[in-house]
Amino acid sequence: MTSNQTVTRREFVKAGAFSLAPLALASLLKDRQLLAGPIKPNVHGQRFTLEPRPPHHEPQAHAMISLFMQGGPSQVDLLDPKPILTRMDGQKFPGKIKYDDVGGASSKILGSFWKFSKHGQCGTEVSELLPHTAGIVDDILVIRSMRTGVNNHGQSIHAMNSGRTQRGRPSLGSWLTYGLGAETDELPAFVAMRDPAGLPVEGVLNWSNGWLPSLFQGTVIRAREPRILNLEPPARLRGDVQRNYLAYLDRLNQQQLDRFPENTDLAARISNFELAARMQGAAREALDISQETKATHELYGLHEKETQEYGRRCLIARRMVERGVRFVQLFTKNQYWDHHGSILTALPATCRKTDRGAAALVTDLKQRGMLDTTIVHWGGEMGRLPVIQNDAGRAKVGRDHNTYGFTMWVAGGGFRRGGTYGATDEFGHHAVEDIVNHFDYHATLLHLFGLDAKQLVFKRNGREESLLSEQPGKIQPGLMQA
Amino acid sequence: MMQAFTQLVQSTVPLVLLAVVVSPAAGDAEARTYETDVRPILKAHCFQCHGEGGEKEGGLDVRLRRMIVAGGESGAAIVPGQPNESLLLERIRSGEMPPGEDRRLTPHDITVIQQWIAGGATTARAEPEALGDEPIFTEEERNWWSFQPLLRPSLPHVPNAERTANVVDLFLAARMRELPPGEGGAAFDPSSRRAHAFAPRANPSTLLRRASFDLLGLPPTPAESSAFAADLGADAWPRLIDRLLASPHYGERWGRFWLDVAGYADSEGYTDEDVVRPHAFRFRDYVIAAFNADKPFDQFIIEQLAGDELVGADSTLTADAIEKLTATGFLRMAPDGTAAGGVDQSLARNQVMADTIQIVGTSLLGLTVNCAQCHDHRYDPISHADYYRFRAIFEPALDWKNWKTPPARQVSLYTEADRATRARLEAEAQQVDAERKAVAANYIARTIEQELLLVADALRDDLRQAYQTAAAERTAEQKKLLGDHPSIANISEGALYLYDRRRDARVRDIESKRAEKLQQFIVAATARELAKVPDELRSQVQSALEIEVARRSPEQTSLLAAYPTVTVTEAALASLDPAATAELAVYTEAADEVRKSRIKQHLQEFSDKAAGIRKSIPPEPFVRALREAAGAVPPTFVFHRGDHGQPKQQVLPAGLSVLETDAAIDANDPLLPTTGRRLRYARHLTAGRHPLVARVIANRIWMHHFGRGLVNSPGDFGVLGERPSHPQLLDWLAVELIESGWSVKHLHRLIMASHAYQQTSEVDASLVDADPDNTFYARQSVRRLDGDALRDAVLAVSGKLHHRLYGEPVPVMEDEVGQIVIGRENLDGERKPTKPIPLGGEAFRRSVYVQARRSRPLAVFDVFDAPAMTPNCDRRATSNVAPQSLLLMNSEFAAAFSLHFAERLGADAGSELRDQVALGWQLAYGSPPQEGDLEAALSFVESQSEAMQGNAAETLPEAAKVQALASYCHALLSSNRFLYVE
Repeated sequence: MTSNQTVTRREFVKAGAFSLAPLALASLLKDRQLLAGPIKPNVHGQRFTLEPRPPHHEPQAHAMISLFMQGGPSQVDLLDPKPILTRMDGQKFPGKIKYDDVGGASSKILGSFWKFSKHGQCGTEVSELLPHTAGIVDDILVIRSMRTGVNNHGQSIHAMNSGRTQRGRPSLGSWLTYGLGAETDELPAFVAMRDPAGLPVEGVLNWSNGWLPSLFQGTVIRAREPRILNLEPPARLRGDVQRNYLAYLDRLNQQQLDRFPENTDLAARISNFELAARMQGAAREALDISQETKATHELYGLHEKETQEYGRRCLIARRMVERGVRFVQLFTKNQYWDHHGSILTALPATCRKTDRGAAALVTDLKQRGMLDTTIVHWGGEMGRLPVIQNDAGRAKVGRDHNTYGFTMWVAGGGFRRGGTYGATDEFGHHAVEDIVNHFDYHATLLHLFGLDAKQLVFKRNGREESLLSEQPGKIQPGLMQA
Repeated sequence: MMQAFTQLVQSTVPLVLLAVVVSPAAGDAEARTYETDVRPILKAHCFQCHGEGGEKEGGLDVRLRRMIVAGGESGAAIVPGQPNESLLLERIRSGEMPPGEDRRLTPHDITVIQQWIAGGATTARAEPEALGDEPIFTEEERNWWSFQPLLRPSLPHVPNAERTANVVDLFLAARMRELPPGEGGAAFDPSSRRAHAFAPRANPSTLLRRASFDLLGLPPTPAESSAFAADLGADAWPRLIDRLLASPHYGERWGRFWLDVAGYADSEGYTDEDVVRPHAFRFRDYVIAAFNADKPFDQFIIEQLAGDELVGADSTLTADAIEKLTATGFLRMAPDGTAAGGVDQSLARNQVMADTIQIVGTSLLGLTVNCAQCHDHRYDPISHADYYRFRAIFEPALDWKNWKTPPARQVSLYTEADRATRARLEAEAQQVDAERKAVAANYIARTIEQELLLVADALRDDLRQAYQTAAAERTAEQKKLLGDHPSIANISEGALYLYDRRRDARVRDIESKRAEKLQQFIVAATARELAKVPDELRSQVQSALEIEVARRSPEQTSLLAAYPTVTVTEAALASLDPAATAELAVYTEAADEVRKSRIKQHLQEFSDKAAGIRKSIPPEPFVRALREAAGAVPPTFVFHRGDHGQPKQQVLPAGLSVLETDAAIDANDPLLPTTGRRLRYARHLTAGRHPLVARVIANRIWMHHFGRGLVNSPGDFGVLGERPSHPQLLDWLAVELIESGWSVKHLHRLIMASHAYQQTSEVDASLVDADPDNTFYARQSVRRLDGDALRDAVLAVSGKLHHRLYGEPVPVMEDEVGQIVIGRENLDGERKPTKPIPLGGEAFRRSVYVQARRSRPLAVFDVFDAPAMTPNCDRRATSNVAPQSLLLMNSEFAAAFSLHFAERLGADAGSELRDQVALGWQLAYGSPPQEGDLEAALSFVESQSEAMQGNAAETLPEAAKVQALASYCHALLSSNRFLYVE
């Protein structure tokens, strides 16, 4: 029984937290004679766990927070200034336009309503709509040459979030946790935080595990109680009610165990209730932002009505990553950035809600020394066109979809700090320089996590599937720190 | 409803059996021979590159001892007696061979090889003269236990055997003498006869609960409990078993076990969409009904493998023929992506065939035949060519070159009467359609005329004609004319509603056009009347007319009175210009008509009527069947490395060559329209001489009664599987199964009549210590309910279970966070949930009826080890992980059913809390509470009642009481005593 190959029940229960270890194994291994035989090869199936595992090579990034701006932020109004649009405002666009919604289309150029100015040492130009982002430009890399090439939301979301335009594939967070596990066994490895006002386009598929084992599905933090289903009881069963319940349940289970001494399964289940209670406590603790200082609350804008909701989610995201969660993704509500009309008033409101929290997250991670190993991503599935849509007066105009050239920013975890990468044409319609397709971004991202995108595979239907899925994902050195 | 914690756990994948096998000659270093000890190692790790299929890397072939000695390009691979001089061992020790970190041999294997060489590298017998293309199976391989003929063993002699109720017990008792003493020693003195005895019989309530879950997958009701407790007859137990076996819920439980093995799913899998497989449920129902009817298992196998060949090509489908065709759904259970666009068809079709072979192999043969798809089986004597001969049995039916996609393979169950009814009703509906069409045509004609009233008179005829001319025959002028008048050009049946919607505006348009016309007619008539006035007075009369009546001078008034006809009114027009009046009437009527018309509504009435008629057409049911095409005899080739793009030699259908009984199968039965291969093979499998089939089936039945098989790897009776703990008992049961006419229920009765089955699980700790996995059966095992039974039990005790049998699956959907719950999906175009669709009692049907969509396992099943149908599941895992506890503690599922449970107690146990608590205990555990249990439960409910009110001050004391009782129910439902069956 003292053999180092013997697994104690306690270790077993611990391993059992997020894994599938069958308890029967403990008793099998107890018979040391059996250990003399050859170990069976893995012919009956694979065992999946969320235990942390080493990547293919030395990683720079250990965790990631993705701020997904669903709908398509207007790059020409936020992070990719095009002075020619202002000069030619109202004139006919000289080239061909790829519209999504031909109905409300026009070919009239729309100059930005907002001023751009240079910020930081790197001098990245940022719109007046993003004053807080302007304050962190030296820590972020603005990628102006993103491209997915499919002009509608659903498909482009899947391209950005699950590698291909089709539905049904595992999301980025699922791949990362499949490849790396998580550094916590008390919190979910992959957390999705939805906006209380509604699901993004494609709904729950945004954090789907696709055909990866459901262990790698994103766990949703909800806006209302219970914040994490099953990790917390319904409100009426909290506190003393739950303590009483657990105490009584333990009495029942002990009684049963007394009748079956040495039954490891029954004993392990009792331990699993203890572990479950610990996990519940850990989740509660991670969600409890009252432990944060006043300064931190203010940094994230929790004292102001407009920035409070998003800021709180950003702060919780940091707390999750701090506690070993591998991947956190925050979603804006349905089509929040999809400004087909009234961009003059809608875009500033959208920016006000999100700008402060997003910038605070980078600042906060940096202050805590976490930015070096934590990637922050800000961006949506598309950008917008340089021409008017819905030509019904200044207050009503908007911009149609543009997936041929759009902007997002990344920070930390080995991404280059400060400055911009790639460029769109002079009107901001097509990416033309250092184009970053979604699969190039993914290849680079996985590389920073120490993973080779071509080697991170899952066998299915006799084929090896990957996030890239046979697309030519190219690691782009220019995106990374030298 | 069911919010489970699937994010944190998964259980869709069968567990790796980390169990280890014992080398037959372990520890006997002296006697190592090539065949027994070394060849299995080299076969598993080296043959592929050094011998098999002509591969001889470095010139080395290791398939025979003499070839190893002869060596390859680097010289002799071994020097007998000199391990340290042997290159083979050196390469293996250095990790150079086999290449790759993860393929290293274990230290144990290396030691075996070293010992073999040291012992002189002997063989068990003379080696074969030559090796052909196919591997030669050694005597050791042919002598593998599960390939040996199935004979009824003689009964063991067990002196002084206690508590042996039947033959089953004798076999178990015979082996129990080998049970090693426990570590404690004292309590289990091996010399003591008692140490080897069965445990005492369990008490009646335990036995009832055990039998009820085993046979029905449901807990006993309190009425059943008291009836059984009161039944003191000597045959109470067999009568109980007969009653349970007669329940229709028996088929639901035991059918479910077979559905796991068959890989049952309600979706196609393979592609990302995982589209729904709409008619698969009929196979599920066939299986349930077959178990309920105790359909002889040989017939059950034959129907599933070759039901279509039994039916023949006859197109009239009797109930019997439908049943047999439905049975072939077994061969249609594999994941199948061939109906989807964008898949590599050849790859996908061959994958379906490979998966089907895997299902057949693991379910009926208990062998991993599928492992020989790309090369000779690494462990078992199944050659690469054997695999393709086996595949040839199924080739004409599945025929990848003449593939039937999932929609194409559906067989309609419509009867002639159904067809006649449909034709009659459809004709009625078409009559209504025609009426609608005529009404619509009239509306179109009227709308055209109405719209023409609004255009210049001169254009009307041309426009009408242009509209009526077929689009292709219109002249350029006509096209232009229509282009200029879109309100006429666009009139169509589909657009009528738009005109209907503009009703008020159209009335205004027509009326203002009429007013305009009226004005013109008056002006013209006035001019004509003026012309009749004498020339000298005409200008005066005209001036007078142009002045307002009130401002006219008396002279002007009298002048006009003298020529009254020049003052033209609309009324006067009737006589002055009847044509104008008639034309104005047209406008008036048109405006009136438009005002009154309700085109959309009127047409809708016809559409609704037609739809109503069509709705009464009986729905056409389909069976997802496999029907081999008559006359098709496609060839089967060995695929090099399993690649369908590299066909090699052609092979003919046959069973496995290592089985002497598995002779070749006729390639084409002249008496059947089809090849008859599957029918021939199915009959061969069930003829009673096949060594594997009956053993495999008997073992499965045993497994579900004891929690472990006599062979504890039910899908693998090969080298990597586990050896039988009681080989003679297994054989005895297998023969008994056959000789009983393949009656599964007979085997249940036999097994359950044994004392071994009826033993208590409560035994001394030292026995558990001595035999932790209960391989000696000196007690009954304590078994956790599987996910299906757990959900069913929760539904049953909470009084919610809906007992309806059979039918369309209960749908599942994603909830707001992506967990899978019961419900009908109702998403908008952006996949946002919209209004929930109520399911009524359907939501509470048994688990076997819940839609089994591969990509969407119901959360509560998923957490509790739902089978992963990739392609099938030969044994469910029984994991024990924290997310299960979280689901039981915190899920909406647990909370909701605890409340249902409490409400039931309120309804069924009267108003006394004591009675309610007692009934809850009885329902959950199958036995009444002891006095101490009752007191503890009562004080728990009291304290919860207070705590509940503390949680929400507004909670009324009455509501708090129900919730406190629900908390007690919650504790019962999450307790081990509920989750486990003793």
